[in-house]
Amino acid sequence: MTFAILVDVTKCTGCERCVAACVKANDLDSRKANLDRFKISDGLSSNRLLSVPGIEGGRYARKSCMHCEDPSCVAACLVGGISKTEEGPVVYDPDKCIGCRYCMLACPFHIPRYEWEKTIPYMKKCDMCFERIRSGRQPACVEACPNRAISFGERQSLIKTAKQIIRKEPGLYKQHVWGEREFGGTSVLYVSDVDLGALGWPDEAAPPIPELTEPLISKTPFIGLGVASCLLGVNWVVGRRMKLAGESCDEETPEE
Amino acid sequence: MMEKKTRLVKDILWFCALWGLVAGVLRMWFGLGATTNMSDSVPWGIWKILNMVAGVALSTSGFSVGFLVIVLRIERFRPLLKPAILVAFLGYGASCFALLFDIGLPHRFWHPLFMWNEHSFLFEVFWCVMLYFTVTFIEMVPNFLERFRAEKAVRFLHRISFGVVVFGISLSSLHHSSLGSLFLVTPERLHPLWYSSWLPIFFILSAIGAGMMFVILVRILYARWYDPEPVFGDPDTNLRTKICATAGIGSDGTCAPPRGKDIPLLRGLSVIAAGVLGLYLFLKVIALFVNGSWRHLVAGTWESYLFTFELLIAAVIPIVLIANPRTRNTPFGLGLAGFCASSGLALNRLDVGIFGYFSDAGTVYFPSLIEWTLAIGVIAAAGLTFFFIVENFSIFDRNWQKRTISKGFFRVSYDTLLRAWNTNLVGNLPRVTLIAVFTLPVAAALMYPPYSKGSTVASSVQPAIGLDSMRETLRIDGDRSGLYTDFPHADHQRRLGEESSCALCHHVSKPGDKSTSCSECHGNIVEETTIFDHFLHMKLVASREEKPGWYPSNHSCSTCHGEGEPKTARNAKDCMECHEKDMWLIGRPDEGMNLMEACSYQEAMHRSCIPCHEKEGKRMKFVNLEACTTCHPSMRHRTMIPGKEISEVNGDSAPRSENPNRGNVDGDKVNRQR
Repeated sequence: MTFAILVDVTKCTGCERCVAACVKANDLDSRKANLDRFKISDGLSSNRLLSVPGIEGGRYARKSCMHCEDPSCVAACLVGGISKTEEGPVVYDPDKCIGCRYCMLACPFHIPRYEWEKTIPYMKKCDMCFERIRSGRQPACVEACPNRAISFGERQSLIKTAKQIIRKEPGLYKQHVWGEREFGGTSVLYVSDVDLGALGWPDEAAPPIPELTEPLISKTPFIGLGVASCLLGVNWVVGRRMKLAGESCDEETPEE
Repeated sequence: MMEKKTRLVKDILWFCALWGLVAGVLRMWFGLGATTNMSDSVPWGIWKILNMVAGVALSTSGFSVGFLVIVLRIERFRPLLKPAILVAFLGYGASCFALLFDIGLPHRFWHPLFMWNEHSFLFEVFWCVMLYFTVTFIEMVPNFLERFRAEKAVRFLHRISFGVVVFGISLSSLHHSSLGSLFLVTPERLHPLWYSSWLPIFFILSAIGAGMMFVILVRILYARWYDPEPVFGDPDTNLRTKICATAGIGSDGTCAPPRGKDIPLLRGLSVIAAGVLGLYLFLKVIALFVNGSWRHLVAGTWESYLFTFELLIAAVIPIVLIANPRTRNTPFGLGLAGFCASSGLALNRLDVGIFGYFSDAGTVYFPSLIEWTLAIGVIAAAGLTFFFIVENFSIFDRNWQKRTISKGFFRVSYDTLLRAWNTNLVGNLPRVTLIAVFTLPVAAALMYPPYSKGSTVASSVQPAIGLDSMRETLRIDGDRSGLYTDFPHADHQRRLGEESSCALCHHVSKPGDKSTSCSECHGNIVEETTIFDHFLHMKLVASREEKPGWYPSNHSCSTCHGEGEPKTARNAKDCMECHEKDMWLIGRPDEGMNLMEACSYQEAMHRSCIPCHEKEGKRMKFVNLEACTTCHPSMRHRTMIPGKEISEVNGDSAPRSENPNRGNVDGDKVNRQR
């Protein structure tokens, strides 16, 4: 059972009630969260794991972790502190984190945020209210939305719903469900009447980021062994040639 | 004499290292945010890129020279093996040390040992760097043990040295390319001039080339400081050449340029390095065309100039210097080539790790003073260690004076340590103390992080625009977010019953104030604001009731708070008990409302509109009268579901019915500007 969130951008009014709910659900400092709304261009910070930035066409779009199906951050984290759960959310284990911030570099959507101001900092990002989902409830932002712009459900059925929504009003929506295939699919889906490039969506169906590294990294042990055996081979050949050449090949074979 | 040459360098290094020490303490104490300029947009700063990625890359000499000498058995380069290993040892040590300051939770640096993610390139880099640092340490140990005359151990280490070297080379070939692969995960973010699927190849080639160049540079510097003859030539010959040059005698052999006996050796290594750098340059140019990123090169952006400059100093200039026989035979030419290649490599790593991300992040990162000084300080500390090791152990000198006194291991060790302690540490102590006394306070004073960073920012809330209630329409945008609504005020007034209806929506103005702006109390979107000036009340109450005691410690408290009770907001009087006449309010504030706080501007507006809209909507059967889009038409261009246009509710005179999208047009403009 993989859950997902579907965002209907045309319904979003940018009221940020979802942000308030998110701040409350994650027990964050609401005062700092509000200051960050004005300080940070896309409104995301370690105090504000969800934001509703304005995008083109006067629209607003929910911006937070996309919970990729094959996430770049999961492949990047060197201690395995981030994992993709069966339920869909990509969750972070602060007990493993060493604070290298590679996940922040690796995320194509620029989502992970760091608690820069703290002496013992952790990474912060949306976890799709994993605890709430497990206890059978909806994520806080979904519950809070007054205009039903965000809905929550099983991923495949949500994709169907999204396509139904588009079919109902083909004049309004773009014929595309964002998150169905981009980066191998995400657990946050969007339907919209404007382009969502501002959220970091790639233009076409881009491959998952780990596919760029996985072919290399999986060969690493063999490359290492290969290099080692090459070295031994070369050394053996050189040694043998020296032996055949007879006398000592000492130093000082002058060049030029 | 030796002492004098290195003294200034050492003093500068001590200064930098001590300054870096202060920077390190401040970083650990105050955390990353207060001391660095890294941010969510630029999460990797110079500690990681300059100290770690570039530092490790410059330390490839250990494995490349090891490859030439041990694997290919080119004995000619053996004199450079020990210096190369020393450079690698110090380079890796300094990199790992700097990294401890960079990671957010340094006390967990050991986590990757036990918590594995074998899909991560960073994991691979961690393991390889750690193992390779161990390898360089094992390779270094014989130098120390030699001095202490622990022959058995040295013999054992020599026996396993071949295996250790082969292991080290395999590790190096893995992690130097993996350092490049780290950036493979950012195809969307890294500038296309630097992003390439060949990054691992670029990284290992440039690291090998520049690493060899760097060891040449180190060798020349060592010669300059300690033992000029093998590199710079015999001083007498040099003098003769100088005289020949001034006398105008041509180069007929008798007046050959100054040249030491180690120059052919360095030249040989530099030719190999130049070859590797040439291959690197060639592949780099090919990649430009394969990726199609040459278009960005001719675009004339700052990135294209930086890219050109980087290739110029990292590869082109060193290759030209080495290709030219006149420069490659002089220590100066070789040294310059080494310097260019090394700094070009560092610049390349900075480009790939930091500068290449600027255009995507939309911000520019410039390291803070603490970042710079810690980065330099760690390098300076490595430099000091370098001086200590070359002065006390046989690294460069082939004819190291072996002390023939046959003493036991412990005796020799004690003597050696005592000598090192006396000459290198205690001998410098007064100077170092002097430098420290100057550096430490100055550094602390200059770099102490300002507390204000990230704490309080003045509220950006401004009063609502339409304070004049007789205006037809009020444009409400309390937080200046560009998300406003045009409120048909006059229309509401008319329909709800003119003057007498004000109190239906407005509740309070401050005493003596006819129209307190809403945002004065109702702040940012969810921000809590104080609507009550406590000090002012204490002062006024005390003066009015002539209470004894000095302001503010007078006895006015019980006027509002209950006598004999804790003075909290809970047991305070209702404002209206005193302000019944001078504050304009009909009805009391809600039960259980916190009088110390006003809800947010947005909440206030919504709460004053939505309940009435809900009620009226039900009564008039407009199902969506309370929906967001009723007041925010810019949100949604779609037909209203129940079929009736919203303008009908407002009546004919409503300004929105004439131009329903007016707010939308302006709103879009504001949004686009943001």
